Amino acid sequence: MSYPKKLADIITLMQGLPEIERREMLVAYADQAKKYEPREGEIFDLEDIRKDEECTDSVGVFLKVDEAGGCHFRIKLGPQVQTLTRAMTSILCKGLSGLTLEELQAVPQDFVPKIVGAELVRIRSHTVYYLLTRMKTAAAVWKKRQSRE
Amino acid sequence: MIPDSNYVHAEIVVSTEWVASHVNDPSIRIIESNEDILLYDTGHVPGAVHIDWRRDLQDQLVRDYIQPGDFAALCSRYGITPETTCVFYGDKSNWWSCYALWVFRLFGHTNVKIMNGGRDLWISQGRPLTREVPKFSPSNYPVPPKRLDKEIRAFFEDALKQSQQHLPLVDVRSPGEFSGEVTHMPDYPQEGVLRGGHIPGAHGVPWKRAVNEDATFKSAAELRAIYQEDLGLKPDDDVIAYCRIGERSSHTWFVLTYLLGFKNVRNYDGSWTEWGNRVGAPIERV
Repeated sequence: MSYPKKLADIITLMQGLPEIERREMLVAYADQAKKYEPREGEIFDLEDIRKDEECTDSVGVFLKVDEAGGCHFRIKLGPQVQTLTRAMTSILCKGLSGLTLEELQAVPQDFVPKIVGAELVRIRSHTVYYLLTRMKTAAAVWKKRQSRE
Repeated sequence: MIPDSNYVHAEIVVSTEWVASHVNDPSIRIIESNEDILLYDTGHVPGAVHIDWRRDLQDQLVRDYIQPGDFAALCSRYGITPETTCVFYGDKSNWWSCYALWVFRLFGHTNVKIMNGGRDLWISQGRPLTREVPKFSPSNYPVPPKRLDKEIRAFFEDALKQSQQHLPLVDVRSPGEFSGEVTHMPDYPQEGVLRGGHIPGAHGVPWKRAVNEDATFKSAAELRAIYQEDLGLKPDDDVIAYCRIGERSSHTWFVLTYLLGFKNVRNYDGSWTEWGNRVGAPIERV
C-alpha cells in the first residue's frame, strides 16, 4: 500500500541518504523529539501514559482529533528511552499528522527499516515499532469511546 | 586509577577525572560502546571512538565473534596498536564497554581499562560531550594468532560440563529470569527464548549487585562480601558467568577477573538465548 504523503516524503528522503548522513538525520530528528511533547494548556481527547513491562521507560501518547477527524499526536518520552525511538517520535508525529482514524490504522509497519536502515533495527530497538502501535491503540480507544457516547 | 579501591587489579579501573586528563594522550584510545546504537552520535567524550558491539565485534552471518583479521582491521582503523591503552566506557552501567573490553581480551589485547561510572557519571558531573568524530592515522595492528576462546569464553558444552560437575556457574540475570517466571529482563523486549529457568546448579547473582547507584563499581570489600563470603567462590575457582546474550555477564566477568582477581573466569556468551532454546538442555526452576 502507499504511505501517507508526509510519511512518504520522509521515507524517500531517508532512503536516498548514505549511511552516515542517515545517522546524522536520525540524530537531528531525535533532537527534535522534545518539540512534540504536550505544551502547557493543551487539551487532548485522549491521554495514555504508561510504562509497559518490556519498555525501558514510560511513553505518553496524547491524541487530539480535529473537527475534520484528523489525528494529531504529542508524545512524551521518559529519559531512558533510546535515541532511535526519540527519532521515530518526531518522524511519526510529523509524518502521521492529520490522518483520519481509518488512515492511521492502515499505516503498515514496514516503513520502519526503510527510514532507519536495516542495520539499526535490532531486537533491542523494537520500541520504534512499539510507538506506532501505541499511537494506533490510542486512536482505536478514542474511537471506541466515541461510539459509546 | 581509583584511589584506595583495593581492587586486585586497581590499575584497570580509571576515574572520569583520569579520562578527562588523558583525552589528548596519543598512547590512549578512548572507546565508547553502548546499547543505544545512536547514543555516541548524539555526543561523546572528546576524542572517543565508537565500537558497535553488533556491527564491529560480531560476525554478521554466524552467531560468533569476528575473526582475528577483522579485529586487526578494526584496531588499525582507529590507529590502535598492541601498545595502545584502550579505555572503554558506555551506557547501562558499562555493560557494553565491559563486553567490548572482553572481546578485546579475546584477541589478546592486554592494555585495557574501564572508566568507572561510564557515560552516565561523565554526564552527571557536567563534563563535556562533543559530536566531532576524531580521526586517527591508521595503524598496522598485527593479526592476533588466535582468539582466546578456551581461556575466557565458555560454550554450551563447557557450561553443561560445569553444571554436571557441580562447579561454579553464576547466573547474573534478574531474579525473575533466574526463577523462570519471565524470559526477558525487566524493561526489555522478549529476545526469543522458549524456556525459562536457569542452568542446574547455577547461583543467581544479578550483575547489578556489583554496582552503586551512580554506576560505579562497589568497593573491593563489598564485592568480596557478595561473591566470596555469600556465594563461597574462591579466586582459584573455575567460574562461568552467563546472562541472556553475554553482555551483563561480561560485566560480572570483569568484576571477578579484575576487581577480585579471580584467575579462571569465563563468559558464556551463548547464555540463556542458547541454553533456553536448546533441545534437551537441562533446566532448573526455583
